[in-house]
Amino acid sequence: MTDTPPDRSDPPLYKVTLWPHRSLGRTGFRNTMLLVMIGITIPMIPLVLTAHSWKVLPFGIAPVALLYLFFKRNYRDGRLTEELTLWPDLITVERTEPDGSRRHWHANPYWVRIGLRDQPVENYLTLKGNQREIELGAFLTPEERATLKAEIEDALRALDINA
Amino acid sequence: MADAATHTHDEHKKPGFFTRWFMSTNHKDIGILYLFTAGGLGLISVMMTVYMRLELMYPGVQYMLTEDGAPNGHLWNVMITYHGILMMFFVVIPALFGGFGNYFMPLMIGAPDMAFPRMNNLSYWMYVAGASLGVASLLAPGGNGQLGSGVGWVLYAPLSTIEDGYSMDLAIFAVHLSGASSILGAINIITTFLNMRAPGMTLHKTPLFAWSIVVTAFLILLSLPVLAGAITMLLTDRNFGTTFFDPAGGGDPVLYQHLLWFFGHPEVYMIIVPGFGIISHVISTFSKKPIFGYLPMVYAMIAIGVLGFVVWAHHMYTVGLSTSQQSYFMLATMVIAVPTGVKIFSWIATLWGGSIEFKTPMMFALGFLFLFTVGGVTGIVLSQAAVDRAYHDTYYVVAHFHYVMSLGAVFAIFAGVYYWIGKMSGRQYPEWAGQLHFWVMFIGANITFFPQHFLGRQGMPRRYIDYPEQFALWNFVSSIGAFITFTSFLFFIGVVFYTIKWGRKVTEDSYWGPYADTLEWTVSSPPPEHTFETLPTPDMWDHSKH
Repeated sequence: MTDTPPDRSDPPLYKVTLWPHRSLGRTGFRNTMLLVMIGITIPMIPLVLTAHSWKVLPFGIAPVALLYLFFKRNYRDGRLTEELTLWPDLITVERTEPDGSRRHWHANPYWVRIGLRDQPVENYLTLKGNQREIELGAFLTPEERATLKAEIEDALRALDINA
Repeated sequence: MADAATHTHDEHKKPGFFTRWFMSTNHKDIGILYLFTAGGLGLISVMMTVYMRLELMYPGVQYMLTEDGAPNGHLWNVMITYHGILMMFFVVIPALFGGFGNYFMPLMIGAPDMAFPRMNNLSYWMYVAGASLGVASLLAPGGNGQLGSGVGWVLYAPLSTIEDGYSMDLAIFAVHLSGASSILGAINIITTFLNMRAPGMTLHKTPLFAWSIVVTAFLILLSLPVLAGAITMLLTDRNFGTTFFDPAGGGDPVLYQHLLWFFGHPEVYMIIVPGFGIISHVISTFSKKPIFGYLPMVYAMIAIGVLGFVVWAHHMYTVGLSTSQQSYFMLATMVIAVPTGVKIFSWIATLWGGSIEFKTPMMFALGFLFLFTVGGVTGIVLSQAAVDRAYHDTYYVVAHFHYVMSLGAVFAIFAGVYYWIGKMSGRQYPEWAGQLHFWVMFIGANITFFPQHFLGRQGMPRRYIDYPEQFALWNFVSSIGAFITFTSFLFFIGVVFYTIKWGRKVTEDSYWGPYADTLEWTVSSPPPEHTFETLPTPDMWDHSKH
């Protein structure tokens, strides 16, 4: 399954990276954590240097730490990318799983066929070539996959003209 | 590389009953579990109140007697304590936040499930374990050589530190577990809400119910740790000889009240804010208009949440706060009327000029508007430190917080049940039954609680098993009201089970018409096990453009 594609250093003609949708960006995450930390600190201030703080502080720190860790975990679960690269004589797709493992597919673009069907989901996008059919952007919205298909087709067509 | 799927993978084996309900990681199933568990505990808690109203029906002690015929004050104290603990920690929040929040928040934002489905399962079972400990505490040896603790739901030190038996310790553990469950739930909700909204759904386009749930989640995350710390100190004071709240050892019992109410006041907003969310959707749906002033509605909820953290000591005007402290807490408390007013007036403006349909959920929402406003106005009265000197710990306070919680929040729960039961079960309730439930409950609950304002003004203190002859009339009326309300609640339980078993089948996805326009109305009724496997697109939920 994971045959490595040939190394290429020449610039590709077309390159696209796909990743699952996440609605909170880096700044948003930072602001959220800041807000929660400030919020939890306020009731702790009057207790600083009293014996009571030993009982309240751990309970204050734990939820903030948990929130941070769970957000990190959620981002890690979403750290899935698919990278499609196109050269005149080679097309590769590299998929990086959340655990960091990579899987490759490559073919000669001349023979590649793009499929778009409504099974198992609406606008299911596939690439067929090198004796394998792979799915592309299963985590995107149907509209995004339709747009992506048009984009890849354009890139492939441009290739034909150059050839 | 993911090879292309050659066939649909709909051929999942249907899980068996045990697997589906006891090992569930599906947010919809867990939501239903929360609703039913909260309903069951609610029934227990309501039965306690019926017993209490029965006792208060006539002056003198008729029912709560020891074996030798003497009034059993401990039993009374136990009843008020567990009614409060169950309602505050195990009924209303789990129903609104755990139940509706779990079920509908991910649906509304177009997420396929919660961010952490297995942690969701853990939250639910910790809640069940906590509730079990709570009930166990009721039946465990406690103070006065009897069963249960009679210290009030606030567990004030030093009363709670000297209560005999281990019932009190079990109650503390119950609150601990429910708190841990709520915090995990809140983290799950926050992550889901912030990170898993559908593409294009910016914060300013997210449905109001989803907003209300996430505001609640932040309240839980920021206030429950303080309570957890406070009751841990109670636990060590009771068992390990520490003196955190004992002046003899350098402790401070008033500090316990500060810590408790620093949690306790946000707690009442955790109860009511999800209700705000439900009411907004119901009013918009049945007025056939989009909600008036969406953005002010969002920011009013956030403002109520923030202000909720800085007003706690208005529960403690009589503990010996300085005049300037009292002035501050008084002013801060009154400021809350501003965002609350924004919400009430926006709901009224939504109704204005709308084509209103008086279906059961709408009746409950209109009932909510009236009752919550009454409760809110008595809140303004109580917020004044000088006036509170007279009203503190009287039935006026009881009437006030039952108007906002037992009538406000609970009416919101019923509005939600009738609004969504067709979506959740695939079957619709009989409209006449819903209407009957509403009218009996509305009348009964008002007869129960409105006279308690009079009792409070006459000076009847709360938490007493008996009262002098002068208070007899309104106590009698209030008890009759409680029985009427209880009848309507039993009727409601019947309606729910009838609907689930024999209700008319719902065929449309959006059976309330085009103004029920959030994403849960785009999936079938009941929704399939897996929803939004492909991300929803803006035209499915963004109706501002046409």
